[in-house]
Amino acid sequence: MEELLEILSELRPDVDFENETALITDGILDSFDIVALVGELNDAFDIEIKPNNLVPDNFNSAKAMMALIEKLQDE
Amino acid sequence: MSGRHALTPACFLGIVRAGCFYAPMDATMPQTRLNQIIGVIKADYMLVDREHLDIANELDFDGTVIVMEDILDTPVDEAVLSKAQKGLNELSPLYVIFTSGSTGVPKGVITSHHSLMCYIDAVSKVLSVDEADVFGSQSPLDYIAAVRDIYFPIKTGASTVIIPKNEFAMPTQLFDTLNKNKVTALCWSVAGVELPAKLGAFDTVKPEYLKKLCFSGSVMPCKYLKIWQQNLPDVLYVNQYGPTEATASCTYYIVKEQVDDDTVLPIGEPYENYTVTLLNEDGTATKPGEIGEICVSGPILALGYYGNPEKTSESFIQNPLNPNYRELIYKTGDLGSFDPDGILEFHGRKDRQIKHMGHRIELGEIEETAKQVEGVLDCCSLYYKEKEQLYLFYTGDATSKDIVIHFRKVLPGFMSPRKLINLETLPTLPNGKTDMQTLKSYFK
Repeated sequence: MEELLEILSELRPDVDFENETALITDGILDSFDIVALVGELNDAFDIEIKPNNLVPDNFNSAKAMMALIEKLQDE
Repeated sequence: MSGRHALTPACFLGIVRAGCFYAPMDATMPQTRLNQIIGVIKADYMLVDREHLDIANELDFDGTVIVMEDILDTPVDEAVLSKAQKGLNELSPLYVIFTSGSTGVPKGVITSHHSLMCYIDAVSKVLSVDEADVFGSQSPLDYIAAVRDIYFPIKTGASTVIIPKNEFAMPTQLFDTLNKNKVTALCWSVAGVELPAKLGAFDTVKPEYLKKLCFSGSVMPCKYLKIWQQNLPDVLYVNQYGPTEATASCTYYIVKEQVDDDTVLPIGEPYENYTVTLLNEDGTATKPGEIGEICVSGPILALGYYGNPEKTSESFIQNPLNPNYRELIYKTGDLGSFDPDGILEFHGRKDRQIKHMGHRIELGEIEETAKQVEGVLDCCSLYYKEKEQLYLFYTGDATSKDIVIHFRKVLPGFMSPRKLINLETLPTLPNGKTDMQTLKSYFK
């Protein structure tokens, strides 16, 4: 989780990732943030985020992202 | 000022019908930016949707604020309207749209009714727009690219669906939306076209009703266009080029070939009613095949920059090749050359303006903004084109967090640097200027 928060805060130092729960739904992260983020997560956690995974539920909070990462690592 | 919904263009048209012109503002822009626009335009009235009324009340606006929803049911008073329209002509302003300015204050480009009609006529022909077309609007509604989505329906009876902004972060959902609305045509920024291809959206779903895709705003990396072509071979692909000052676009190129990763698309030929001339630095004509500054003339030229006659007369000048009659040209600052068939090729900028995510950005504006942060002594902003990242190199003891938070407060998100690098000193050339080549070697 720490590694994820580090990546997120480098991407958008202005966002409170520990508490936000509607990052996508409220438009806090935009499409360009997502493109940058997907690349970084794939590299850092050795996973492959597929288009099917790109739904708001998986990216609305740091917790949800961590759950997605863990799911993909198990596969 | 309003959000991303159909009421916004409806209000644009209402303003125009009342004999006025509009300067659209996106309510999600930072307050500082909105105040800069208000300061330039000095409007008497601001229309705002109820959702953003609180923001409107906090801005430095002296005029009257009117809530859109409150006036929707006002009965039409033809007598008042016809009186308001007296004195208007085709060259009266239609809208003022703001773009980045190198001094840190945005410039308001004024477009006339006539220019917009010339442009919409020309593009509708190239794309064969008709009443069966459904456009999927990507552009922010305050931005120049939205004029197609707004005015095609008025000219041709086509429809436009305004796609919610956050769907672009979720490409599968985006394509589902296009299919649900049976979208047939897209006029998107290159950045918007790249996104679904980059994120692999075609693996899951395709926009099955799509017939035409027109893109503009920056140079198309063909590895992404290739993915579109492979998945949708029958779609008409059109590359567009042009500045806001020449009413959105001035040339187009219909992509006939199957592109490859390293294909460089030309920007093509001028639209009807647009004339393109290439000039050398000294104002002489370039020889065939040579690179020169792309200059545009015709009835599509903007009326200038709002309230800024100095900047206007710098950028819109008498055609130096024409000593006989008045013919204004707009100097785009872009470089181009004609191939033997008269097809225009693009060779980048002659100054420090860049295109990032489809938006024009003056690197000077980024630097001016960074210098406002306490603890930033000196800085230089550069663009890492291959990775599409905006870099800021700076000296001083500010943290990157301080700087980014300031940017997010005063400028749109796309203007916030992605990579911030703190240096002891900025490298300099023997003449004392910043050594940008050395800085570029720090890109990672």
